[in-house]
Amino acid sequence: MRVEKCYFCSTNVYPGHGSAFVRNDSKVFRFCTSKCHKNFKMKRNPRKVRWTKAFRKAAGKEMTIDSTIDFEKRRNVPVRYDRNLIETTVKAMKRVGEIKARRERVFFKHRMAASREKQRAHRKKVMEAAKTSSVKLHEPISIESTTSQEKIKVPVKARSALIQGEGRSMGMEID
Amino acid sequence: MGRLRRSRAHHARRDVQRGARTRVRTRDLDMIQLIDLDPKNRAALEAQAIDYEKPGLAQHYCVECAKYFETDAALQSHWRSKVHKRRLKQLREPAYTIEESERAAGLGRENRRPQTVSSTTMETDMMGTA
Repeated sequence: MRVEKCYFCSTNVYPGHGSAFVRNDSKVFRFCTSKCHKNFKMKRNPRKVRWTKAFRKAAGKEMTIDSTIDFEKRRNVPVRYDRNLIETTVKAMKRVGEIKARRERVFFKHRMAASREKQRAHRKKVMEAAKTSSVKLHEPISIESTTSQEKIKVPVKARSALIQGEGRSMGMEID
Repeated sequence: MGRLRRSRAHHARRDVQRGARTRVRTRDLDMIQLIDLDPKNRAALEAQAIDYEKPGLAQHYCVECAKYFETDAALQSHWRSKVHKRRLKQLREPAYTIEESERAAGLGRENRRPQTVSSTTMETDMMGTA
């Protein structure tokens, strides 16, 4: 059993999942989902699509140089089953996973700190630009305009809900 | 009464789907960059034998765009075009390959045969990371 990697987004493709495309130079392209397959058919470059692993690695959003990453490898020579080896490997995998998670957290923290600095500098620059810009806001000057029409008040007659005699109501009056 | 039907319900998908068929696939960028642009292969592609099946008898071929032209004038004007220049720009950056997708996933390659030494180095590396 071999867990493959998706050509487009680099996630795991387990046996029985996803699809594969074999190009006429016998290169096998594996896809985790139809989404990735469609994007491949559109000839998009995964390095430029923001949700792929390739983008995140290329743009420096994830750890690229680290000894914890180097453990996972494609080994084309089978290893003879050895109970002790498997046991130690499983133990090592857990430990490596722990260390990797910790380092990723640290990496993220550093990355966010740097980006926060950048954001702050950018905001400051924008504020400066706004201050020195040619557009200045003045208080509106109140001018008594002569052309404005005056509202004509129409006195509203008080209406009564009470129905007067002979069935006539006050509301039926028409001017 | 409610709405009877929407206009533009079929999205004109036909040509999009036809363009995505396997038989109309053109050469991929990584194939062009890694194989075709090699001077030896390039010379072979530019001096092809007469082929009655290909446009212009396969005499006017643009290697970068993997495209045949009818006449030399058409090829010349293609080289001056925006499409061709855009293609050149795309080819200037390294192509994306299957190996890169695996590297992005953190999957390395073991090239040498595994020895007893490699397992011990792994152990020491573990100690170093701990």
